[in-house]
Amino acid sequence: MAAIRQDWLSKSLAGAVLGLGLAFAVAGVFAWAAPDGPNKYQLAMWLVAPLWLAVASVCFLFRSGMRAWLWLGGANVVAYAVLHLCRHFAR
Amino acid sequence: MRSDIVRLYKVVHTWTGIVTGLFLFVAFYAGAVTVFEQPLARWAEPPARTAPTAPEAAHELIIRTLATQPDARREFTLHLGGEDEIPARLTWQKSLDDRFPKGAALAPDGGVHVDRLHPTGLAQFVDDLHRTAGLPGDEHLGAALMGVVSAVYVVALVSGVIVLLPSLVKDLFALRLGANLKRLWLDAHNLVGLLSFPFHLVIAVTAVVFGLHEQIYDTLDVAVYEGRLREVMRADSPFTPIKRDQTPAAMLPPEDLVARIAALSPGFRPTTMHYRDPGTLGAAVRVWGTDDRYLMRGEGFVVMSPVTGDIVSTEYLPGHQGAYSVTVAALFALHFASFGGAPVKWGYLALGLAGAFLFYSGNLLWIESRRRTERRAGGPVTQSRSTRWMASLTVGVCLGSVAGVSVAIVASKWLSGWVADLDPWHRGLYYLVFLGSVAWAFRRGAARAGIDLLWLCAAATAAIPLTTVLAWAAPGLGLWAWRDTVGVDLTAVTMALGLAWMARVAARRAVAGPRDSVWSTQAVEAVG
Repeated sequence: MAAIRQDWLSKSLAGAVLGLGLAFAVAGVFAWAAPDGPNKYQLAMWLVAPLWLAVASVCFLFRSGMRAWLWLGGANVVAYAVLHLCRHFAR
Repeated sequence: MRSDIVRLYKVVHTWTGIVTGLFLFVAFYAGAVTVFEQPLARWAEPPARTAPTAPEAAHELIIRTLATQPDARREFTLHLGGEDEIPARLTWQKSLDDRFPKGAALAPDGGVHVDRLHPTGLAQFVDDLHRTAGLPGDEHLGAALMGVVSAVYVVALVSGVIVLLPSLVKDLFALRLGANLKRLWLDAHNLVGLLSFPFHLVIAVTAVVFGLHEQIYDTLDVAVYEGRLREVMRADSPFTPIKRDQTPAAMLPPEDLVARIAALSPGFRPTTMHYRDPGTLGAAVRVWGTDDRYLMRGEGFVVMSPVTGDIVSTEYLPGHQGAYSVTVAALFALHFASFGGAPVKWGYLALGLAGAFLFYSGNLLWIESRRRTERRAGGPVTQSRSTRWMASLTVGVCLGSVAGVSVAIVASKWLSGWVADLDPWHRGLYYLVFLGSVAWAFRRGAARAGIDLLWLCAAATAAIPLTTVLAWAAPGLGLWAWRDTVGVDLTAVTMALGLAWMARVAARRAVAGPRDSVWSTQAVEAVG
């Protein structure tokens, strides 16, 4: 297996920025798609930090910074598309 | 686990740890103290000047206060505890940030006796220190910065566990008390870190949310809720069922309201009742309380109409919440130790202090791994500037914050009655001791300053029980001592003894340890 490149800056940025974007999108999908109930908005807010930091913690496992940006960027595109669909159908 | 992954994560762990360690030490030490902030605040609180009204007379007190005190008609708080535990039976503030509420008691002439209260604010000071790690300036900004620090801390935690995984079985319970002192510190760091990992992970993630929740809500509002989050929040507010209506209306006695809650939830012990728009048709009362059988957000509450006696919201009442509220309450509880009663609180105190040790030992390992050894260099060596600098900073910040907290606690009691507002004194004295300690550590070097400052910590902490002893022995001093806060004094005695022991060990290491260590006082002379 090929060695893991360090790519500190690009991997850290990918984890911090794209991880945060992904976390907001998933929390958004929860907010729109999960069954209604009191204080749902609070749990949606609580979801952001654990999701963000899970990504930021494991992002160094990507083989290179480039791969981190591609995979996490792709995940963001998919997640925001799903969020958009949820909004569209929840109305 | 592949070795290149471990190597990678060792670097992640080192840098995330060294950047956040000192902030986290202060936050954890102050946080451990906040677990028992109520007895601590009580320890410093002077005796009330007027006897609080008996609970049975609370209804009469409410009627007379509303009739004679216009500024209590917006909001007031009724305190349900025993007469020793409460500032007054009934209190109110001019605004939310009014730190000197007024308190009312029944007067013999048929009116009420009103006093301006001067709570010490000690609990709030320690809590602010916990949330901001003492970062000066705007408190919200300090808390938000600590939210970011906590985020980095989560990464430090996960990376630390990844580094430890391959050698987990071999290293976990190994505490090698051999000649290699660094190995011992590493073993201790790993053992404490791994055993309290779940605690740290929960504290870290929740701390990110507490520090950054405003920013997260604002972003969600734009990214998810299309600018309608405020509407969503308003719809979910437990007060929404009660419409404001200024028509005067008689209210039921507080014991009737409490009885209705007891019928609904017998395990719930009410502590305070917060009235909004009292004496009007649109009055609402939020009854705060605890139920140790559940995970609570600090305290839970019920919202009622004091006019009709109807319970309008149980969404924050332990045992009567929906799934989402229960989950959020659990996350609060796991951070604030608001479940399971006293045993959990003692556990959190121990875990908090162990956490402070984790950050201290982490910095120490960073220093030791950058240490130049005589063995390798073949003769007397001087440590690099970054190593000496970090050693001084670690000693000054960690011990300075410990000493500063103890000094602020002691000063709170000694200055009570002499100064009108204790808050600037708590903060001023804390920063004086803290910054003085950091300066001392840089001036004297980590080895000598460590010993001096440990003795300072021990002395300042010992002053807590000594103040109590003096209050008993010499009543002429005007001090006071509470029988029910003897736990505070005993804890302080234990801490002071522990700190004195550390001072002695550090002094021994300074003369008997390896000369090339930053903790040695000999090396300095050897090199000149």
